[in-house]
Amino acid sequence: MSKIMEPTAHSDPNLNPIRPNEPELDLYTIPSYSSWFSWHDIHETERVALREFFDGSSITRTPKIYKEYRDFIINKYREDPSRRLTFTEIRKSLVGDVSLLNKVFLFLNNWGLINFSCEKNEEIGLGSGNVDVRVEDGAPNGVRIVEMPDKLKPISVGSVQSSAEGSGGGGSGSGLKLPPLASYSDVFGELVGKKKEVVCGNCGGSCDSGQYEYSKGDYLICQKCFNDGSYGENKSKDDFKLKDSASNAAVWTEEETLRLLESVSRHGNDWDLVAQNVKTKTKLDCISKLIELPFGDLLLSSTYGKGNSSGQIGSTNNSIQVPAAPSEHQDDTKHEDQLHEQMNANEEKGDVMDDGPLLKRRRITSVSDAGGSLMKQVALISTMVGPDITAAAAEAAVAALCDETACPREIFDGEEDFPSNGFSSPSFHSKSKRVDEVDASEVKQTPTQSGTEEASAWQNDIPLSLRLRAAVATTLGAAAAHAKLLADQEDREVENLMATIVETQLKKLHHKIKHFDDLELIMEKEYAEFDELTESLTEERIDVLQRAIRAGISKSRDHAPIKFHMSNVV
Amino acid sequence: MKALPSSSSKGPVKFRMPTRENLVPIRLDIELEEQRYKDAFTWNPTDPDSEITIFAKRTVKDLKLPPPFIMHIVQSIQTQLAEFRSYEGQDMLYTGDKIVPIKLDLRVNNTLIKDQFLWDMNNFDSDPEDFAKTFCDDLGIQDPEVGPAVAFAIREQLYETAVQSVAAAREIRMSKKGRRGAEYVPASKAGGTSLDLMKLFNNKYSVVRKRKDWDVYGPMVDLLSNEEVDALEAREERNARSMI
Repeated sequence: MSKIMEPTAHSDPNLNPIRPNEPELDLYTIPSYSSWFSWHDIHETERVALREFFDGSSITRTPKIYKEYRDFIINKYREDPSRRLTFTEIRKSLVGDVSLLNKVFLFLNNWGLINFSCEKNEEIGLGSGNVDVRVEDGAPNGVRIVEMPDKLKPISVGSVQSSAEGSGGGGSGSGLKLPPLASYSDVFGELVGKKKEVVCGNCGGSCDSGQYEYSKGDYLICQKCFNDGSYGENKSKDDFKLKDSASNAAVWTEEETLRLLESVSRHGNDWDLVAQNVKTKTKLDCISKLIELPFGDLLLSSTYGKGNSSGQIGSTNNSIQVPAAPSEHQDDTKHEDQLHEQMNANEEKGDVMDDGPLLKRRRITSVSDAGGSLMKQVALISTMVGPDITAAAAEAAVAALCDETACPREIFDGEEDFPSNGFSSPSFHSKSKRVDEVDASEVKQTPTQSGTEEASAWQNDIPLSLRLRAAVATTLGAAAAHAKLLADQEDREVENLMATIVETQLKKLHHKIKHFDDLELIMEKEYAEFDELTESLTEERIDVLQRAIRAGISKSRDHAPIKFHMSNVV
Repeated sequence: MKALPSSSSKGPVKFRMPTRENLVPIRLDIELEEQRYKDAFTWNPTDPDSEITIFAKRTVKDLKLPPPFIMHIVQSIQTQLAEFRSYEGQDMLYTGDKIVPIKLDLRVNNTLIKDQFLWDMNNFDSDPEDFAKTFCDDLGIQDPEVGPAVAFAIREQLYETAVQSVAAAREIRMSKKGRRGAEYVPASKAGGTSLDLMKLFNNKYSVVRKRKDWDVYGPMVDLLSNEEVDALEAREERNARSMI
C-alpha cells in the first residue's frame, strides 16, 4: 500500500478543490463540495457517513483500515482518471467485507472523489461520438481503379498530343465531353447494352423508338406493338403509358455531376449516402453515371481515339448508344464527324451510292487520324511484351469481335469480303511490332489516297473501323499481359524480401542462442565457485567449532564468536 | 439499521438472515407428469402464509402448468419456511467479526459466472441484491436473470452459514452446561468456514490483496454459445441421473 501511496501522499492539505500532487504535480479535479478531502486526515464527513469504522466495534474496522481502503480506491482511480472505476474492479484487490467495501466505494463516488472527471468525459465522448458516426475510408474503389492507367502515362501522352492536333478544330475542352471509354464499351458493352436496351414484352424486340409502360406491373411494350394494338394478354390500351426513353436515361447537369463526384470521394461505396447527397438522382442513376464518367484529363484524352472508334461501333451496330454519344460531343468537330458517321451508317443500310464525296472524305480522315494514333499505341504497347503474347491477345480480341460483329455483317449484306478482310488484317498486323508499324503507316496513307480514290477508300473504311476495334482490343490484351508480367516480377521481389527477412531473423536467433550459451557457461563457473566457497566456509566453521570445544568454552558463549567469524568471512 | 451491528457486539444475536432484509432463499424443483418446474426466489418469512397459496396459483396460471403443481409448490415453500422458522429465536454464535468467503459458480442461461469475495456475517446492513445489481452493471451483463440469480446464490450461502452458526452456538452451550468453562470452541472451527480477517491482511498489515490473488477474487464472466449451453445441460442431466 505504502508504495502506491508515496507519490501522491504529500499533497497540500488546504481546502483547494484542485489539489496538486507535489511529486508529480498532476492536477486532479474534485468537486468543490468535496474540498474537505485530505490525504492525511479523516474528515468529520467521513466519520459520520461511515460510522462503522470509527465506533471501535471491531479490529478489522478501524480508521486506519478505512484510510487504506479510501486511499487505495482513489489512487486506483487516478491511475487513469478518464476511465470509470467500478466497484467490481476494486473489490478484487481489497481484503474485506464486500458490503463494507461497497459502502466506501459509493461514499467516495457520491462525493466525486472518484469517477468525477470521467463523467464529464463520457458525456463529451458521447456527444462527439454521435456526430462522428460516419466512417470514411479513403478514396472509393471506383476512383482507385482509374489510377492504374495513369501508369501508362508516358505512352498515352504522345498520342494525346497527336490526336488533339489531328482532330484539327478539336480544342482541349472538347476532350472533356467524350463518349465512354473504349475499354469500357468493349468490356462492358454487352452488360450495358442489356441494361439500356429495353426489350418489348410482347414482340421481344428492342424498343429504342420509345416504349409504353404497363401501369399495373413491370411490363413494357414497344411503340410498334402499341400501335398495332397487341398489348399482350389481359391488358387494355388504357393501362399503358408512354414512357419517354430520354427521360428514362437521366440527364445530368454539370452541378449534379460535381455533387456526385464530391460525395463519391467523401462516402466511397456507400451509394445510399451518395444518392442522398446528389439529391436529384437515384442510387442506380448515380452508379451508372459514375461508370460512364471518364476520370482524369490525361486518361480522357488518351482514350480520345478509342472513344471515337467506339462511337463508330455504336453507329455501325445501330444500338442505343448512338444517340447518347453525340450528346456528349457537344459543339466540336468531332461531333460533326460523328454525325457524318451516323449518316453514313444509315446510308449504308439504304442506298449507298448517293453518298456525297465531302462527307466520305471527312469521315475517312477522322478515322484514319484516330487510327494512326491508335496504331502507334498498339505498336508501343505490343513492344512491351513479346510478339507471341501480342498474337495471343490479338486472337482473343478477334474472337470476341466475331461475336459482336455478327450484326454489321448482316448490315453489310452482300459485301462479305470486307468484314472478313477486317478480321484477317488486324490479326495479321498485330502479330509483331514491325508488321504493326507497316500497317499503321498504311493507314496513314489512306487519307491521302482517299482524295483521289474515293471508291476504294470507301470500300476500305468498313474493315478499317473493325480493324481499329481489333487493334484496341489487342492493345488492351497486350497491356494486360504486360501488367501480368510486372505483377509477377513484383511477386518475385516480395518473395525475395521475405526470404531475406526470415534469414535475418534466423541469424538474430542464432546470435541470441550463442549469447545464452555463453551466459550459461559463466553461470556454471560461478556456481562452481560458490560451491567451493560454501565448502571452505563449512570447513572453517567446523574447524572453529572444534577449536572452541577443545578450548572448553561453554556452549552459551560460543554463538557470538561464530557469528562474528561468519560475518567476517562474508 | 446501524444500531444492529453495534448492539450485536454486546451479546448474541437471534437467528435471521445476515442481510438488511430478512429474506429467505426458496428453491423449487418439482417434477410432475413429465413436466419439470425449477425456480428460485426469496420470501419474506413474516408474510402471512395465505400469500403462499396465492403465489402458487398465480405462478401455475402464468406458466400454464397443470393444477396439481399448486399443491406441490405450496408444500415446498411451506417446508422451507418452516425450516427457517425453526431456527428463529435461537442464538447465533458471535465472536467479533465473522467473515465468510462467498464463492459463485453458476450458469444463468448463456452466462457463466465464477467469482469469490468475502462477506461479513455480522454486517446486518449488507444487501446481496444491491451487490448483484452493481455486479451486473460493472460487468455490463445484459441478461436480466443474472442479477437475481447472483443475489440468490449469495443468500443461499449466507443462509447455510447462519444455520451452521446456530448449530455451533448450541454446541457451545451444551458443552458449557456439561463442563462449565472447560472447553472453548474457537469460532473459526465452530463456524465452519469463517475466516480471521486479520490473517487475510497480508504480512505488511495491509488491506491490499497480493496481486497474484486478484484474479482469484475477481469475477470471471463467460458468455456461452447456444451449443455449449446445450452440451452443458446434457451433461448436467446425465450427472443428475447417475446420482440417482
